[in-house]
Amino acid sequence: MSDVVIVEELVKRYGDVEAVRGISFGIRKGEVFGLLGPNGAGKTTTIHVIATLLRPTAGSVLVAGHDVVKEAAEVRKRIGIVFQDPSLDWALTAWENMYIHGLLYGLSGEGLNSRIREVLEFVELWEHANRLVRYFSGGMRRRLEVARALLHSPELLILDEPTIGLDPHTRARIWDYIREVRKREGMTILLTTHYMDEAEELCDRIAIMDHGKIIAEGTADELKSLVGSDVIIARFDRPACFQSGPVKECRELPDGRVEFVVENAAKALPQLFEMAREAGLRIIEVSYRRPTLNEVFLHLTGRELRDAPAEGPRPFAMMGRRR
Amino acid sequence: MGFAKAFGVMVYRQLKRFVKARGRLIMTFVQPLIWIFFFGVGMGSVFSFSNPVAESFIKQMFGGLDYMTYLTTGVVGMTVFLGSFISGITVLWDKQFGFLKETLVAPAPRSAVILGRAFGDTLVVLLQATIIALVAKAVAPSINLLGLPGALLYGFILGMGLTSAGIVISLRMTTPESFQVVMNFVMMPLMFLSGVFYPLDRLPEWAKAIATANPLTYAVDGVRYWLTGVSMHDPLTDLAVLIGISAVFIALAVYEFSKATIE
Repeated sequence: MSDVVIVEELVKRYGDVEAVRGISFGIRKGEVFGLLGPNGAGKTTTIHVIATLLRPTAGSVLVAGHDVVKEAAEVRKRIGIVFQDPSLDWALTAWENMYIHGLLYGLSGEGLNSRIREVLEFVELWEHANRLVRYFSGGMRRRLEVARALLHSPELLILDEPTIGLDPHTRARIWDYIREVRKREGMTILLTTHYMDEAEELCDRIAIMDHGKIIAEGTADELKSLVGSDVIIARFDRPACFQSGPVKECRELPDGRVEFVVENAAKALPQLFEMAREAGLRIIEVSYRRPTLNEVFLHLTGRELRDAPAEGPRPFAMMGRRR
Repeated sequence: MGFAKAFGVMVYRQLKRFVKARGRLIMTFVQPLIWIFFFGVGMGSVFSFSNPVAESFIKQMFGGLDYMTYLTTGVVGMTVFLGSFISGITVLWDKQFGFLKETLVAPAPRSAVILGRAFGDTLVVLLQATIIALVAKAVAPSINLLGLPGALLYGFILGMGLTSAGIVISLRMTTPESFQVVMNFVMMPLMFLSGVFYPLDRLPEWAKAIATANPLTYAVDGVRYWLTGVSMHDPLTDLAVLIGISAVFIALAVYEFSKATIE
């Protein structure tokens, strides 16, 4: 097995709340693997276990062949992590933050100095190296955290919601860095996100998480093929489902709308209108989409990913301020 | 891997932060000066008599020292006590701002990280203590500054212990409000029942019992010995007790930090 990360039957419980309920997955060397899911799905808990910051309740996690509980120090050497909440020392400069990180990871001397310069130039912060982090914008801080995670050239780079709370411009920039890191250093990357476009844009393989479980896993195309080709979503004056003509699959959604899976929505729509008229149904609303990961999520859970409620405890509420 | 590097870099960080936090810099000097000034001037005037008999009686109460000398040497010890405890508590701020996670996920030995941190903070506090001692010399000329290195050794041991105690408490603490509780119900009584402001031998038994268990008592006594030659206990006893108490706190801090997660 050349998998960089192997997660087997991982369970994490906080009191009586089960944040992660027995998940298994592997991350191959050199790939970008995404955990996609709504807030509270258990993504952050999962990566905190992988990063040795939380002890699993059950199951095992190996990073580059090392157990995260028994060989935590070996695992820590090999990973770089960008947390969802800031973890910089605001009272120090960017350079000082990098320098401290380097020494904590066993680097020093000229090697460390030139590497600091290299990664700060990479995230375009070299000219701000001697400014206090306190005066950095949110985007600059995130870029600095990315640079810091790269400083010791980890085998596995972990990014927890790398673009949350960032403006579109900065977001695109972070995406560029991630692609560039992968190309230049061949690093294996694990990222969590609740943005479908981010998962689709960056990840080779995606695991969709919901309520502490992985409900689907594969490439974006594989996941979309779970839904079929196109999806029509309609609301009638009363719930109704029909499965004839172009409709390959039909089911009622919890919110009262009906989902039709069809080969080609543009051609199926007129036929669907006709069928509804014949059945005496009044159409209140209708829309169609080419399948996105959101449709996959909707298909698997009956809820939209974008408005899935935040659930479960925020495990590190104690650690950071809520935003 | 890299125990010395990790230890060193945490010392570096604590010193850097100290130099950059001007507010804290100023407050840590001003507070003991306020004690010396108001307590010294106020109580000093109560205890000064023109009658030589009364004068010598008072001096006898303070081990042969005039009140200003007695007080200021105590304040040197107190500065270390409060300063290092509050430094330890700043781990809470690292929790709040997330920097603690950065140190927890690093491969550096956790013991090195936490000991380096305590050491750096203790150095800062000893610098403050030195400045207080110089101020004390100005208002109480009989103080012997040649004893300062000896006094600072006691301060160092107390500082390492109290920083560690602060670290343990802040690792366990869930809300910053508990800090006030600890300050008011633990630190303040310990400060008053330590011989900084008045001798302990005439206190009621329960207060004496607290003073006997109080690390600050031994630090104040030891510091006073080195700066004036007057002490309640044998200075070696002071040293032994201080080392014992601090070792327990340091061991606890290393243990707590080694098994810290972010739950």
